[in-house]
Amino acid sequence: MIKLDGVTKIYGHDTLAVDDVSFDVAKGDFVFLVGPSGSGKSTLLRLMSREEVATQGDVWVAGRNVCEMPPSRVPYLRRSLGNIFQDYKLLLNKTVFENVAFALEVIGKPRHVIREQVPFVLELVGLADKSERFPNQLSGGEQQRVSIARAFVNRPLIMLADEPTGNLDPATSEGIMSLLQEINETGTTVVMATHDHRVVNAMRRRVIQLDRGLVVRDQERGVYE
Amino acid sequence: MLARIEYALRETWASFRRNLTLTLAAVLTSAIALLLVGATFLIQRAFENLLVQWRGDVAMIVFVRSDASPEQVALIDGTLRAAPNVIDVDKLRYLDKAESYAEAQRIFVGDPVTLSLLTPESIPTQFKVVPITQDTDLVRSLADQYRTLPGVEAVALAEDEFEVISTLSGFVRNVTLIMSLVLLAVAVGLIWNTIRTAMFARRREIEVMKLVGATNWFIRIPFMLEGLLQGLIGGVVSCAGVWALNSAWSGGVAAFKPGTGISSLVVPGGYLSGVMLVLLLLGAAIGAIGSAIAASRFLDV
Repeated sequence: MIKLDGVTKIYGHDTLAVDDVSFDVAKGDFVFLVGPSGSGKSTLLRLMSREEVATQGDVWVAGRNVCEMPPSRVPYLRRSLGNIFQDYKLLLNKTVFENVAFALEVIGKPRHVIREQVPFVLELVGLADKSERFPNQLSGGEQQRVSIARAFVNRPLIMLADEPTGNLDPATSEGIMSLLQEINETGTTVVMATHDHRVVNAMRRRVIQLDRGLVVRDQERGVYE
Repeated sequence: MLARIEYALRETWASFRRNLTLTLAAVLTSAIALLLVGATFLIQRAFENLLVQWRGDVAMIVFVRSDASPEQVALIDGTLRAAPNVIDVDKLRYLDKAESYAEAQRIFVGDPVTLSLLTPESIPTQFKVVPITQDTDLVRSLADQYRTLPGVEAVALAEDEFEVISTLSGFVRNVTLIMSLVLLAVAVGLIWNTIRTAMFARRREIEVMKLVGATNWFIRIPFMLEGLLQGLIGGVVSCAGVWALNSAWSGGVAAFKPGTGISSLVVPGGYLSGVMLVLLLLGAAIGAIGSAIAASRFLDV
């Protein structure tokens, strides 16, 4: 589903963020990217969603080499990806329903699809009764659920999560992780960057550890260390 | 498809209202710039009416009596051609009755009283004379000579009549042209800035849109429509302005005594409609250009 082949990313002239990284992620996998701040976790995610382009090497996502993709095709790549962030990136002037609907609206989905899909996915993340609330009327965990709903509503092949539990307490994080696991069980590949020991150790899934841009460990059913 | 169109129109309208102050500034500036463009056209046309009989460096007109015989006309023609070192004989032109009448209709467009006195039969025909020499005294002495020829009704010299107006017309044209070009550029700049501000205000939305896979065109179109609308509204306002200006001008000119020449400064209605159409198109164009530059340059927020 995802294949990195000798990927190097240099920001500016001399800031080496990712150094000759290669790994494969199979369809339906759940992978943690771990490592300290600045180790290149976020850069790898940004390379997969083509917010950045690799300086060297190839990045294959869903069968397409995103490094050689013309800019006009990038929106269609993103439609097969769901992105989640530490800061949620919700639109504060829109309700929960509108935030999720927005993701369908801007890719031109007709209204009847929106009316059908949005309540379904809000039910899935457990926010069916709060669809008319605004983001700042919700707790952090609930806001992250909205952002997961928005990422998932278009049924992406891959979910890319950048520190999704970074702002949340342990109990709330647990809820978010079980939601991501549920999504993973529907066949969606999940790649999650984190430095949250608890969630990694509790899940026992594949762990790719990075240090200063290099892969230092790639382990099935791993822990954080 | 329908959902996309609906989305674009809804977003355009919402953004239009959100930025009312800036939008108003952009609309007014484009309106004023376009008004000046329109005024330039009208003034130019008015002067052209006044100068139509002197177009093409004509410096002397020999009017021939309407009842002159063909032999008399031939004699005048021959006399004119006999001075090739003063007169450019290649450019010498004879306007028959039909041509002279057509020209008079333009000159007296705002003076129906004078025009009604003229008929295609009673109108004097004319020789348009382009001199080779710069020596106006020489031309003047020739004019005195032609006045004595049989069949000649009158000889008019550009120097006496419209030299001043011709110079003035050129000056006014240059000044208004430069001013309107500068103002048009300012209007494009203001629309550009308005759209840029609108995009900056919605940078989070744009970021999310790109994240979930909206195409650049989908993001751009509402902003471009907004700029187009601003330019177009500016165009409509300037049309109203040009129309009001022209009505007031025509009214003022009509108050002059017939036959003074001022009356030919009136612009016919058909020309006015043409100018208004040009202003609308120009308005839409500056809106489209300003917003297109902004929308393609500031999408990376």
